[in-house]
Amino acid sequence: MATTKEEKARLIYTPNVLHNSSLYTVKFLSSCFAGATAGILGLENWSGFALFLASILFSTGCMYVINCKSRPTNYVAGGVKDLVNPGQDNVFSFVLVWTLFYGIVHVYD
Amino acid sequence: MGGSQVSLYLDPQIRDWVLFPITLVMILVGILRHYVVLLLQSPPKKMPRPAIREQRALLRSQILRETSTNSPVPPEYYKSISQELSKAFEAGTYLKDGPPKGDTPSRPPNPLTDPNAMDGMMSGMKTQAVMMVPQMVLMGWINFFFQGFVLIKLPFPLTLGFKSMLQRGIETPDMDVRWVSSLSWYFLNFFGLNGLYRLILGNDNSADGSRDMMMSPYSGPAQTPAQPQDYNKLFKAERDNLELAEALYNWNGKDVELRILRRYGKLST
Repeated sequence: MATTKEEKARLIYTPNVLHNSSLYTVKFLSSCFAGATAGILGLENWSGFALFLASILFSTGCMYVINCKSRPTNYVAGGVKDLVNPGQDNVFSFVLVWTLFYGIVHVYD
Repeated sequence: MGGSQVSLYLDPQIRDWVLFPITLVMILVGILRHYVVLLLQSPPKKMPRPAIREQRALLRSQILRETSTNSPVPPEYYKSISQELSKAFEAGTYLKDGPPKGDTPSRPPNPLTDPNAMDGMMSGMKTQAVMMVPQMVLMGWINFFFQGFVLIKLPFPLTLGFKSMLQRGIETPDMDVRWVSSLSWYFLNFFGLNGLYRLILGNDNSADGSRDMMMSPYSGPAQTPAQPQDYNKLFKAERDNLELAEALYNWNGKDVELRILRRYGKLST
């Protein structure tokens, strides 16, 4: 079986890797909805970020069980850590949507 | 001072006429920028057939060599392809300008005079310019029209250092840093809309503002492409690599009949 890093890289089938973009979409949408939830609920400071963390863990759990069928290394190079990592873009998106909904619901009458 | 407990009352019209329009305009400007960059990119110049042939010859031998230790190609084919490529590289039959004359040492074309390389550099600089202009224009527009009032309250706290940047135009030394002006809403959008662009425009979109800021310090001077490659030297090096790969060659169908028999237990080993 392939053990060296180069041989592992050769076994990767590119169109399948590109299909993994559906996972990125799921991460982005879940961070947007988490932001909306945090804003509407009026969460502040650390409780908002706690909600974000909880949403990341929950969506990772769902992806782990449903998408990757409990074998993440088969689907995502880098395994569980890559699944959990939301990516810098999604953190900023969360903050943006959170601020937006917080402003709409709680600041403006 | 009960600064953090007191809540400011903001006119809902600010929300309708500032909050949503800024976001909408930024989304649209991002999409516009993406399409402008797409239109500005001139299609890659068609290379003449000898030039393509020389690149493809190198690629062919690299592909062959890549899997040589566990090759799917049977020995007769592998050896014949490998030897023919070796001979061709030695004689220089695939070179763009024909086999080398022998007396004049070949020099790579000067990047300043070679028209192919210039096009590459120009298009790179054009895209950089297009990226920066909308950012400046938007910031100027926001500073001009939406200045001097509080727009929104941030749900998370920030240090006092941010006060000067985020509350520009509002001269209140006591107000909580969480009440910010429209420029900070611009920054929030600037960073936060990248995910949206990735969703709408696909992964390689050119609407990503923040990525330019991170990349441009490094990729500016390093953009000069490795165009003037001396294929003669490359071919010589490739020939040595081919010999090495041939020595390491192993067909992965070797003794396959014995392996099958062993697997089904027909052969006692």
